[in-house]
Order: sequence, then C-alpha cells, then structure tokens
Amino acid sequence: MEKKLILLNEISEISKLAGFIEEIGEELSLQPDMVFNLNLVLEEAVSNVILYAYPDGGTQEIHLTAKVCNSALLFVLSDRGVEFDPTQVPDADITLSGEERPIGGLGVYLIRQIMNSVEYKRIDGENVLILSKDL
Amino acid sequence: MEVKIVKEDDRQVVYITGRVDTVTAPELEKAVAPLLGEIGIKIVFDCTGLEYVSSSGLRVVLGSHKIVVAKGGKFALRGLSREVKSVFDLTGFSKILTIE
Repeated sequence: MEKKLILLNEISEISKLAGFIEEIGEELSLQPDMVFNLNLVLEEAVSNVILYAYPDGGTQEIHLTAKVCNSALLFVLSDRGVEFDPTQVPDADITLSGEERPIGGLGVYLIRQIMNSVEYKRIDGENVLILSKDL
Repeated sequence: MEVKIVKEDDRQVVYITGRVDTVTAPELEKAVAPLLGEIGIKIVFDCTGLEYVSSSGLRVVLGSHKIVVAKGGKFALRGLSREVKSVFDLTGFSKILTIE
C-alpha cells in the first residue's frame, strides 16, 4: 500500500487528514483507536509545518506519503520551509501542576509518545520527517 | 464541531460535539471566552459528543482551566470517550484536571 496526499500551507487543509487516515485504516483494517492516534500524529506534524515553516507566506505544497514497510506503517512528510527538526524539541514536562503547565508544546510530545520512531532529515533544502508505527 | 452552552443548576455546561482540531479549536475558545471571566464560575465541558481532540483542543481546555481556577471557580470535564481520554492520559492532563 502506498498513498499520497498533497496539502497547501493553510490551516483549513488539516481537515483533509481525517479522510486520508480513515482510508488507510479501512485498507489495513486498523482499530479505531489506532486511526484516532495516527490522525492526531499527522495533525500535529502537519500543523507545525503550516503554522511555522513558511513565515513569509505564499502558497506552498506539503507532501505526505503513507506506506507499509516491514510490518510498520510509515509516514513521510516533506516541505521546503525553514529548517525545523522536531526530534530536537525537548519533551514537555507532564509532571507539572495545572497552574505551572505551559499552554502548548504538546504536539511533538504526542508524536513521540504514539509513534515507534521519529526521524528527521534535511535533504536538498527539504524538511523530511519519517514517522513509523509498528502494525 | 458544534458548541452548545446550557445552564444546569449552578453550572454552565459546554456541550462539545464533533472534532476539536487546529481548524476548529479557535471557535471553541471564542465560544467559552465570555464565561471564563466570571468570578467563581462553575463550568463543565461535556465531551460525550466529542469525537476527536488534538493538542489545539488541549490548549483551549488547559487555558480555560487556568482562567477559571485563577478566578476562584471550578472547571471539570465529563463524558470522555476511551480515545479522547487516552490523549488526556498521554499528556498528563488527566492528573491535573477534574474528570467526572
């Protein structure tokens, strides 16, 4: 299985991810909680690109590929925005109290918690994020 | 996503239906904002119809909790599905928020 989705760097594009992952879920007979978690991971990864990768604006494409490889589901997300390596973001401290917890900083944390591996490469001016989940 | 706010006894109940994601979270934030300024308000987010929540939704929940508590009020959540509850568990929110 291999599926591709091209998104633009606009917030409303996030809505397309649910349908994309639903189709994958049906094709691979994934459990609903797995589909939910993968939707969450893709939203966190893609929204980071949409919100921060293109500070100068202008319409840009974000490419997402999903494929099964060695009994793992692999997502490859690529964009030509500013260099950003999510694997270098420090983990959110989830032991803080409600009053101390900062608002935000949870997206990358959720990606790390849910996926089995998160790999980042900068290749020829492209951010390439490879997310893998064991099936 | 749909938001309906109903006064039930001494509490404002915010019924959230559908998906709270990066696209819709600002609508939720806007809908509850007028309530949060009230001193000592008791507010509960009813998530029975909440199908999906991402970190954008969690930000609104935590932000609302902080404002309400700072003004001497009470903030709670109820009706979380297993999937939604798991996001609250993963992020440690289950420990810092009141879940009925």
